[in-house]
Amino acid sequence: MSQNSDLLTLRSVSKSYGKVPVLHDIDLSIRDGEFLTVLGPSGSGKTTVLRLIGGLEPLTSGEIRLDGNDISRMPINRRPFNTVFQDYALFPHMTVAGNVGYGLSVRHIKRKEIASRVAKALELVQLARFADRFPAQLSGGQRQRVALARALICQPRLILLDEPLAALDLELRRQMQEFLKSIQREIKTTFLFVTHDQEEAIGMADRICVMQAGHIRQLGTPHELYYRPNCEFVARFFGENNLVAGKLGRVQGEQRSIETALGRLVCSVSGQPGLKAAPDGASAFAAFRPEALRLAEARDGDNRFAGSIAELAFAGSSTIATITAGAEGVAQRLRLRMPSRIDGSALKSGETVSLSFAPNEGHLVLA
Amino acid sequence: MSLLVTALAFALPVIFVLVPLAIFLVYSFFSVDQGTIVYAPTLGNYARFFTDPIFLPVFWNTIVLCLSVAIICILLAYPTAYFLTTLKGRWRYALLMLLLVPLLMSYVIKIYAIRSILGLNGFLNKALVTLGILEQPSTLFVFNMNAILLTLTLLLIPFAILPIFLSLERIPQTLLRASDDLGASGLQTFLRITLPLSLPGVASAASFVFVLAIGDFLTPQMVGGISGFTFGRILYSQFGTAYNWPFGAALSVALAIVVILAILIGERFGRNRGTSA
Repeated sequence: MSQNSDLLTLRSVSKSYGKVPVLHDIDLSIRDGEFLTVLGPSGSGKTTVLRLIGGLEPLTSGEIRLDGNDISRMPINRRPFNTVFQDYALFPHMTVAGNVGYGLSVRHIKRKEIASRVAKALELVQLARFADRFPAQLSGGQRQRVALARALICQPRLILLDEPLAALDLELRRQMQEFLKSIQREIKTTFLFVTHDQEEAIGMADRICVMQAGHIRQLGTPHELYYRPNCEFVARFFGENNLVAGKLGRVQGEQRSIETALGRLVCSVSGQPGLKAAPDGASAFAAFRPEALRLAEARDGDNRFAGSIAELAFAGSSTIATITAGAEGVAQRLRLRMPSRIDGSALKSGETVSLSFAPNEGHLVLA
Repeated sequence: MSLLVTALAFALPVIFVLVPLAIFLVYSFFSVDQGTIVYAPTLGNYARFFTDPIFLPVFWNTIVLCLSVAIICILLAYPTAYFLTTLKGRWRYALLMLLLVPLLMSYVIKIYAIRSILGLNGFLNKALVTLGILEQPSTLFVFNMNAILLTLTLLLIPFAILPIFLSLERIPQTLLRASDDLGASGLQTFLRITLPLSLPGVASAASFVFVLAIGDFLTPQMVGGISGFTFGRILYSQFGTAYNWPFGAALSVALAIVVILAILIGERFGRNRGTSA
């Protein structure tokens, strides 16, 4: 299985409930063996994408292709996909082993084989000791793993996960993230994971598909999304960011300037032909991460501006400063994140400082 | 104030349920001599119940009759309730209300109505004769055991529909979708998910119907004729015609034991193994 062949392709898929459209002309390719996360706020249509692929709901228009064959009208019980539901949907009247073996037993597979495959699946999710328990006797994290074992036992081409970690507390969620990722590597099955939590998405995904209002805004690796967001929505939604509005200026090689309330800023446009080609004076944002912003040093030429520290917050490993910069009336609030130090912060609240960020750590998004 | 409420909450069931039951139990150990009750403890009533050739067979036949009523009610109510849950929104409850409306009508009037349907010149006979199924009106449907069976079934079916409907409706839809998702056919999903999860409702329905049927003496009295003799009628006659309260009390105790057993069995199977998924 090569990482690059497409397993599943959505072509101009639309979905409406009655007259309310929830997905507009979605195009999406899922690669064989990848961990793809669909990320978006509630109401973005991310769960609908999953339900359409799983066959839980019919398409309004467009098509879904598996290995190049149209499966848009294939009934749910024929699709070689299995779902891990948000509330797990375990069968309360069956034991853990009964739940996990269900997909095999409805296919009339021999008892002996079911038993051995169930044992293997439970071993994989580390629940071998719990085979005879009922779902009501398990904790949230354990139910989660039963649901996962039940989905993967039929060796589906694709496992669909609908916000499966939403009901777990923070610590358990972190553990389950690592666990899911390691299982995915072990069984080499394609995972389509839906979530609204961008931290979760960054931690697990090979690629992330960011959705908003029924559209796909950007599809890329977590690194691409973090450092090269292609629109204001992604820049704001995905990780903490500083966005400063302005008008585009001249292109100089792989950089372009932007006139803002903080003066002229220079940002990288490397690999973003759209931003290079945009006309002078077009509205855009300069975007730079809180960890890219720092106290200016003497050798800094570009992107220097003054700001006063409005607030300092100690957050363990890092300290976050809220900064007011720019002239009154057009003042911007910025965030600066720097490693904490045992002897206290180098910054003092109320102090005015000179700030800077490196041009290659800033990027532009069109407004 | 709250103490008073608590006291009442305990006192009312004690006064109105437990005390009468206890009085019954005590009376069942007395006897009657020349129309007056002899307040000396005896096991004579129970001995008579077990040795007299009349009582045990009637008791047994009545239990069989009421079990039949319960089974027929379940067989008719389950598809009805299932059909209701497939309806959407408003229709579902509108139809459910229609099915439950008979509960608001007078019991006696319903029995009269059913009797006239089953009678020699009733709707059922006329329909069967008109359709050519029968040569002439039959007496098969009234004033015998069949009539009691049919009437009790008709009267009690709403009590079976309601619990089954509620248990079907409580099954989370995602469980059915999960079953589809795992490759089950519609029939497999019904047999392996829907049916087992609705069995608690079936058990409550069956025990409701059985208990209500076995306690009924009016229906057999009105449509049973001479051959449709049930335990409820014997009981009634002990208190009314025979004026033998202690013996009636002993028969009541036997009946109460069956009822309590039915409720316990219904409760045992009516419990879910943890509904939370």
